[in-house]
Amino acid sequence: MKENPLQVYLRKLRHDLWVRGLAGSDTLEEIESHLQETVEQGLRMGLSKADAEQRAMERFGPVKLVVRTFDKERSQVMQNLLLTVALLAGLFSAYMDALPKWDDTGILAGGLLLVSGLLTLLGHRRPWLIALAVGLWIPLHDIYLSHDLSMLLVLLFPLIGAYAGWAVRLGIRKGLNIA
Amino acid sequence: MIGEALKGHLDLLLLVVLEKGPAHGYAVIEALRQRSGGLFDLPEGTIYPALHRLEDQGLLRSRWQEDSARRKRIYQLTPKGGQALIKRQAEWQKFSKAVNATISG
Repeated sequence: MKENPLQVYLRKLRHDLWVRGLAGSDTLEEIESHLQETVEQGLRMGLSKADAEQRAMERFGPVKLVVRTFDKERSQVMQNLLLTVALLAGLFSAYMDALPKWDDTGILAGGLLLVSGLLTLLGHRRPWLIALAVGLWIPLHDIYLSHDLSMLLVLLFPLIGAYAGWAVRLGIRKGLNIA
Repeated sequence: MIGEALKGHLDLLLLVVLEKGPAHGYAVIEALRQRSGGLFDLPEGTIYPALHRLEDQGLLRSRWQEDSARRKRIYQLTPKGGQALIKRQAEWQKFSKAVNATISG
């Protein structure tokens, strides 16, 4: 049996939202319910079924636009989440560094580099912000104690990591043609 | 033009509509359209992501209601959403007053 245009529209919307992980079954049911309600309203206005369905699709918006809006809103939540993780990781590393028995600077520097890189690789758009959130706390603490501004050089590790992760992500997106 | 201008204030408008009482997405969009005299006519599919974000932020909560024909997701303002609405309304009043004062010379 051939699908009508509304069924094709819904299938494409479901597919595009689903494969990008932008909507669960609740959201898809909500969208379907909305479209059905718009169709019913169109029928009550005296439109034919085909016209009512066409009107419902037009009012809901093109699939690409709807998916892009979901993606954009979801991205903002993701950005905030990644920044929160960066802050927590940064504070944890400062705590570790402040422990009297902790003296493995290499592991700490590597950790700052890796965490920053991972967070920008996962999608944070501002490498400098991630680098600051992860790497600022150790120098701040040390500068407070020793007034030695050279400790700011520690920031180099998260900066290198964050920009490396960001560059790799850009490369991957370009490779997949989604940049 | 209206669509672009509206995007920056969509959260406030959604909260205002839901201040009147719980409603499902379709009713929220209809209320937006009717209360603006048809001027606020965004593609309906772009409203749901904003409703979901407001819910994620704790400004709205939703529940499913069984209707005679289908299930509907009903949105409702939370106490936090009510406070956010008061704050955003005050900001908007201040902003629009300043714009009016500027353009009227």
